[in-house]
Order: sequence, then C-alpha cells, then structure tokens
Amino acid sequence: MFKKTNIRFIIIGITLILAAYSLYWTVAYNTFSDTKLEAMRSSGSIDKFEKRIIRLGLDLQGGMHVVLELNVPKLIETLASNRTPQFDTLLAKTTREYKETGEDFFTVFRRNVDAADFKLVRHFTDRGYKNSDIIASLHDESKDALQRALQIIRNRVDQFGVSEPTIQRAGQNRIIVELAGINDIEHARSLIQSTALLEFTLLKDPQITQSFINSVDKYLKTGRKEDLAKITSESTDKDTTVALKESKDKAVSVKDLLGVTSADVEMAGDTSDTSLIVDEELFSEKPFSSLLRNISNSIGVPERNVYTVKKILADPQVQKLLPYDSKFLWSAKPERLTSRDGKTENYYLLYHVEKEAGIQGKYITKATATIGGANSKAAGQPIVNISMNNEGAKIFSRLTGSNIGKFLAIVLDNKVYMAPRISVKIPNGQAYIEGMDSMDDAKNIAIVLRAGALPAPVDVIEERTVGPSLGRDSINNSMKIGLAGFLLVIIFMGIYYKGAGLLADMAVLLNFVFVMAILAVLGATLTLPGIAGLILTIGIAVDANVLIFERIREELGKGKTVRAAIDSGYNRAFRTILDANITTMLTALILMQFGTGPVKGFGVTLFWGILSSMFTAIFVTRTIFNFRTDRKILKKLSI
Amino acid sequence: MRFFKETNIQFVKYSKFAISSSAIFLVISLIFIFFIRGFNLGIDFTGGTLVQVQFNDDVEISDIRNALATVGLENSIIQKTSGTNEVMIRIANETEEGNTPELVDRGLKTLGNDGYEIRKTEKVGPKIGQELRRNTVYAIIFALLVIGVYISIRFQFRFAIGAVVALIHDVLFTLGIFSMAHLEISLSTIAAFLTIVGYSLNDTIVLYDRIREDMKIMRFDPIQKIINKSINETLSRTIITSLTTFFVVFVLIFASGEVHVFAIAMAIGVIVGTYSSIYIAGPVIIAWQHRFNAKKK
Repeated sequence: MFKKTNIRFIIIGITLILAAYSLYWTVAYNTFSDTKLEAMRSSGSIDKFEKRIIRLGLDLQGGMHVVLELNVPKLIETLASNRTPQFDTLLAKTTREYKETGEDFFTVFRRNVDAADFKLVRHFTDRGYKNSDIIASLHDESKDALQRALQIIRNRVDQFGVSEPTIQRAGQNRIIVELAGINDIEHARSLIQSTALLEFTLLKDPQITQSFINSVDKYLKTGRKEDLAKITSESTDKDTTVALKESKDKAVSVKDLLGVTSADVEMAGDTSDTSLIVDEELFSEKPFSSLLRNISNSIGVPERNVYTVKKILADPQVQKLLPYDSKFLWSAKPERLTSRDGKTENYYLLYHVEKEAGIQGKYITKATATIGGANSKAAGQPIVNISMNNEGAKIFSRLTGSNIGKFLAIVLDNKVYMAPRISVKIPNGQAYIEGMDSMDDAKNIAIVLRAGALPAPVDVIEERTVGPSLGRDSINNSMKIGLAGFLLVIIFMGIYYKGAGLLADMAVLLNFVFVMAILAVLGATLTLPGIAGLILTIGIAVDANVLIFERIREELGKGKTVRAAIDSGYNRAFRTILDANITTMLTALILMQFGTGPVKGFGVTLFWGILSSMFTAIFVTRTIFNFRTDRKILKKLSI
Repeated sequence: MRFFKETNIQFVKYSKFAISSSAIFLVISLIFIFFIRGFNLGIDFTGGTLVQVQFNDDVEISDIRNALATVGLENSIIQKTSGTNEVMIRIANETEEGNTPELVDRGLKTLGNDGYEIRKTEKVGPKIGQELRRNTVYAIIFALLVIGVYISIRFQFRFAIGAVVALIHDVLFTLGIFSMAHLEISLSTIAAFLTIVGYSLNDTIVLYDRIREDMKIMRFDPIQKIINKSINETLSRTIITSLTTFFVVFVLIFASGEVHVFAIAMAIGVIVGTYSSIYIAGPVIIAWQHRFNAKKK
C-alpha cells in the first residue's frame, strides 16, 4: 500500500477536490432565485445544471408517480369484428384467467382458443388464417399499442413543461410516468389519461402568413411600445430588463426595449445565455421578423426566441391582426441546425395553419414505414404508407383534389410532426408520404399517425401523489432528525474514544460529503428512504472505527508500542470490516435490484455509503494516525 | 472511557436457556402470524387507495363520511391523526366508477369549503400489490441465500448455518412483534427487515471473524471455550456499535410516516440482532458440531 504519508494526503486531497466539484452544481443551483431559474429554463442553459445536481424524489418535492398498463383484453375487443356470444365468452374467460394468474395474455388466449377449437379468422381479417398467425399478429399489435401510448404521453408531458420528466416502458405492457414538482395534479391526470387527437390541417398560403408578419412588425414598431415592453419583460432576465423600465419615461428604440444591443447580437450565444438572437439588419425595421428565420421555406424560431414569439403571438392586439380562420402551431421537436458561421442552434418550426382541420386522423386504418418501391418516385427512400377507410377516402380525395401544391400538416395533440406537400389528388384513400431523413424518422411518423387513429387503451394501476407542502415538511423533518442522530453519535464517540473519537467524527462527516458527491455524479434521486439509508450509513461508518479502536486498545493492553498497536489494530480489523461490509453491501445490492421506487433509493445510498465509509473510516483515519506517529514517537495515544 | 474490561461471562453456558426462550417466543410469533392476527399489510401489498388530507379547521369524521357517500365511498376507513386536522382515508378495493383518489377529491368538494389540501394519495392496483408481495418474498429469500453462500466461502459451511439461523430468528422475531402490535407492513418496513438482515449479520461476522482467529491460536481447546472467549473479546465492540446505531435509529422513530415505522422495525432489529449474534449465532455452531460429530461416531 502507500507507505508514504504524503501520497496518502495527495489522494485524499484529489478525492476532496473531485467531490467538491461534483457538489458545486447542486449548491449553486439551490442558491439561484426563481426568476433566474425561469430565465435559465427558457434559454435552455439550465440543462447543464439539471444533469449534474442531486434531484429530490417525488416524496420530497411533491409530484406524481403513475404506472399505466395497456388493457390488452380491451384492445383485442376493439380489434375484433363480427363478435359473437361465443367469442365474448372466450375473451371474458381469458381476461379472468389473465388477471388471476398474471400470465401473459396471449399465452392464456392461445390455450383457451385451442381448447375450444375456435376459429379466430371469423373475427380478425387481414391477419392470416391460422390461429397461431392471428395471435402472433395481435401480439405485435399490442406491442405497437404500447409504443403509441408512450408517444402520446411523451408528447403531452413535453407540453406540460415539467423539468426532467421520466416516461419509460416497464415490462411488456407498462409505462411509468414520473412528474416531479407539479402542483396541478388534476390537470396532469387528464393529460395522461385522455385519448389523443390526430388531425391533418392545411397550411395557410405563405403570402397570407407574410402579410400577417408584416403587420405585426408594423404594430410592434409604431404601435404602443409599452405593450411590447410588457411582453418582452417577462421573458428576459432581470439584468436585461433595466432598459425596459426606462422605456416608460422616455421614448427608446425597439432595440433597447428588447434589451439587446448590437454588440450582444454579434456575440449572442457566447456571452449571455438569456439574450435573444435577432437578425441585426432587420431588427430596427422589422422587430418581429427579426426573431424568425427562414428554414427551407418554413418559419424557424431559434429555441431561445420561442418564449418571446409565443408571448407576442398571445398578445390580444396581435391576435386581432391574425386572419380569423387561422392559427399558429409549433413543431413537436426542435431541429438542430448549423448556421453559416458554424454555430449550432435548436430551431422550432412555426406553422400558420387553417383553424379547421382538413380531415380527422380517425379515418386511418393503417400506417407503416417502408422503403419506396422501384417504380415510385421515392424509390429507395424511406416512406410512410397510409390507408384510409371508405369514408375517409372520400373526404381525403376532395381535400387533396382542391389543394394540390399546398402543404398539409400532420398534427397530433396540437403539435406538428411534419407538413408534406400535396402533389396529386388521392382518390382511393391510399397515400404515401415522402421526404423523411431516415427510416427512423419514417417509423416515428408512422407511430404518430397510428397513435391518433388507433386505440391504445391504458389503465392506471398505480398512482402516488405527494403535495408540495408535505414534501417540504418531510425535508425539514428529516434534516432535523438527521442532524440530531448525527450529533448524538459524534458526542458519544468524542467522549468514549477522546482524540481518536474526534478523528472518527471527522471521517463520518467526510463520508457524508462523499456520498452526496457520488449521488450527484450518478444523477441519483434523493428520496425519504434514501435519507434514512444515509443516516444509517453514519452508524456503519462509525462501526468501522469502533472495530479498529477496540482492536488498538486491545493491542495496547498487550503492551505493544503505539505505532505497533495502530498497525496491527488496522490490519486485523480490516479483514473483519471487509467481511461485514461486503455482506451488508450484498443486501443493499439486492434492494437496488428487487426494490421499487422508495426501497431502491434506500439501497442506493446504503450501498455507496458503505463503500465510501471504507475509504473515510480506514484510509483517511489511518493517514492521520500515521502522520502523527511519523513525526515523533508517541508514548500515549488518546483513545 | 471504557464500559467493558476483560470480561469473562459464560455466555455459552447460558445459551441453552437463551435458545429455548427464543424458541418459545418464535412459536408464539408464528401462532400470532398464522392463527390469530396475521399481518397488517399496507396498501402496497393489498392494493387499495390511501388519501391523506389536511383540513384547515376541525372536521367531524361523520361529515367526511357523508361527503364521501356522494361518490359512493361511504365504506372507507377514515382516521384522524390525534392533535391535528389531518385525516387518513383508506379505501380497500377499487370501484368501477373511476380513479379513486379523484373520486375522494370530488366527494370532499361537496363539504362546501376549500379549506383542505390533499397532501398525499396512493393508489395501488390489486395486481401491483400481488407483484410487490411476490418480489419482496423473493428479495428476502435471495438475500439469505447470497449471504449463506458468501459466508460458506469466506468461513465454513457450519458458520453459514449459524448466520442464517440467526437471521431467520431476527426476521421472525420482528415479524412476530409486528403481528402482535398490529403495526403496518409496507414497502419501507420490508426495506427495514432487509437492513436488519444486513445489520445483524454485521455483528455475526465480527464474532465469526474472531472465532476463526481464536481457533488458530487455541487449536486444542474445545469449541465451547473458543466461542465463549471470542464473544467476550468482541463484546465491547458489539455493544458500542449497537449503541451508536441505536442512537441514530432512536432519533428516526420521531420522524413521521413511513420512516417512523421503518425506525421501529430497525430499533427492534438492532436489539434482537445484537442478542442473536451473542446467544444464537455462536451456540448454533456448537450444536451443529455436536450433531456432526455424533453422526461420525
């Protein structure tokens, strides 16, 4: 091992610096004011903090944890046609057995169908003739339904504006949604549970859009500047709104109103994360246009301008300028583009669309991603094939026939996923969309199309909500308790082992810092049971030192010198500590593996707590003992 | 300061008495668990809904029941936390009407005042409850197995038997007290049980480590003498560590909610764990040795 005490000190120093760095983000984040956080959120610079901080669990900051399960029986029921009493009995029997045994639905279904010698082909068309083929196809259908449900929930939660939501698949049929820090539980519930709405909506003529933008420019330039000040002041940081306040006293140019100087514009993105990106030439003449970009004939809005543009569009005066039969919609995801000068920026697309949808998504019967055939125009390109039922085909034929050359937006829950151009009249309800960048994009569009068209019935099987006030109480409560327990242990150790006891106290304190640092690095979430685990770690960390000190006392009792007693005390206790801690860590690992939610958090802090306690309680305390015995020969040890 | 100095208590001599009283208690525990009270399982394991509501003013339970009757939930269990305006509403099974936490909120709105805040809701479907129950049993069995294997490798097989017997003793003991006192068993209680497993094991390992060491030194002494010496040598450490851990756990008892029950389980576990590593873990090795030797002869 490290014979030289100096090397040991260097190792401890480096570890401390690393720990301090990893904790810096959490500490800094918690000192920010709400307004600063809001500004950072709108500019996106909060991301680098949120990735590095220790987040609080739902039980500490309030929030919602929901587990949804795909209702497979209901899905099969809606997919079946020509249902007979026999079929319904079979399905009911399968459903009952599936719920009781927890077996896979399709395994049970298969068994019952075979036992009853049932012909499934009477109720399911286009899925083959053999029972096994039909069941396999229905199984695929259920997997797809879960994908659709996931897509819908992701889409909605993104709109809800929760920081770092968790939406993940669990097992075969489940989705776990975790929304931290939300207040409006009722609204969140409705978001997760209601069905999705898919529409195809025509884009407005670009000329109409342009004339609207021109009139907004004119309004902002010559209209009431105070309004604009009000609009923009909420979007920018306090530092940049100083100029805005002055605007009431004297006439200031729009440039100042927006809180941006030309210097800022040139260096936007480097200096201040909260400044807007504007087109300098256009700025004074056309303040609204300057916030927008032309991206291959669509309106692109740099991510950091989105908030301001939304505010301007929501202004009642601006609303009056908008043609009555139109509205604005945003793209579902930003596009990452690199400008000519090499800066990358996220752009959202803004779509000016008809207020009324051209056609509802419910008419779609099929949407699949494939590669265009050799004879088609899109040969070798990823495309999405769409089929509609007869009713839909009629509407679609009329819609496409009278709007050739126009763009049709695919809108799911008010978010635009794509806006392909109508190139020909589609009379038979069989269409395809081209222009996707990759097969993955095509698959995603197909999921969106199916999400709005086909049912994906889900049930809430677990829901836990914690109000923010309870979370706050829990934090205060656990802090007080943690501190009290900590103090009791520290005082006891100081009295019982004197100088050595204080050393152990220091090790426990250090251990606490290290565990928090590890949690920050892991991006772990701190829950109430997690805090309990942390407090328990204090006990275990102290135990290591108790073992060592008892052994040293024993060795001293045998008449060994101080240095020899320390050496053999540490060496003999080390093996015991290792065995004892490894078994506890094994238990902690099992908790991490089998445990759900809260129990998992307990396992995580316990595991890392024990690991780091071996460093602090053995390595760090030994180093200090060595440091003292290196310099002079101790006759007596304070232990 | 020093509590224990060179003790020489005849633990092994008294272990027969200890083992038989433990056995009696465990039999009583099992009778309670299987025939008298069973467990007070929380909604994590049974499924159901729990809503914690904080009222601004004092409310009558009967008023709440009437309000809940408007949404068909008059059969809920309504409990008031004494000294506060906090009310716990428990609903055993799911209704067909819809989401129960939502229903409770709708029902409470009929009280006519907004003077309440829903602080916490928990809804667990019956299927989830079943799964959690299954997973928990697996976790505990798995933990015992892994520990047994580890000790067999690091020590000897008879040590593993001793450790696992001591662990089963601790968990059963705690479960027995939970059944008798009708304390609620939730997910966090299970975490506490597993911590007890790990913690009690800590004590046992420290003792076994010492036995292993002493066996090398006192090669010709009978096992009883070796074990008794080892217990005495580690006594000081066992008591001090249990004491410091007990400080921490004792403080946690004053927490509210889940942590409170967790701490109670832990406190029982610390005491029982310390006892079992002194009186059960060592003597079991001796008992095993006796049987093993008897068979050999």
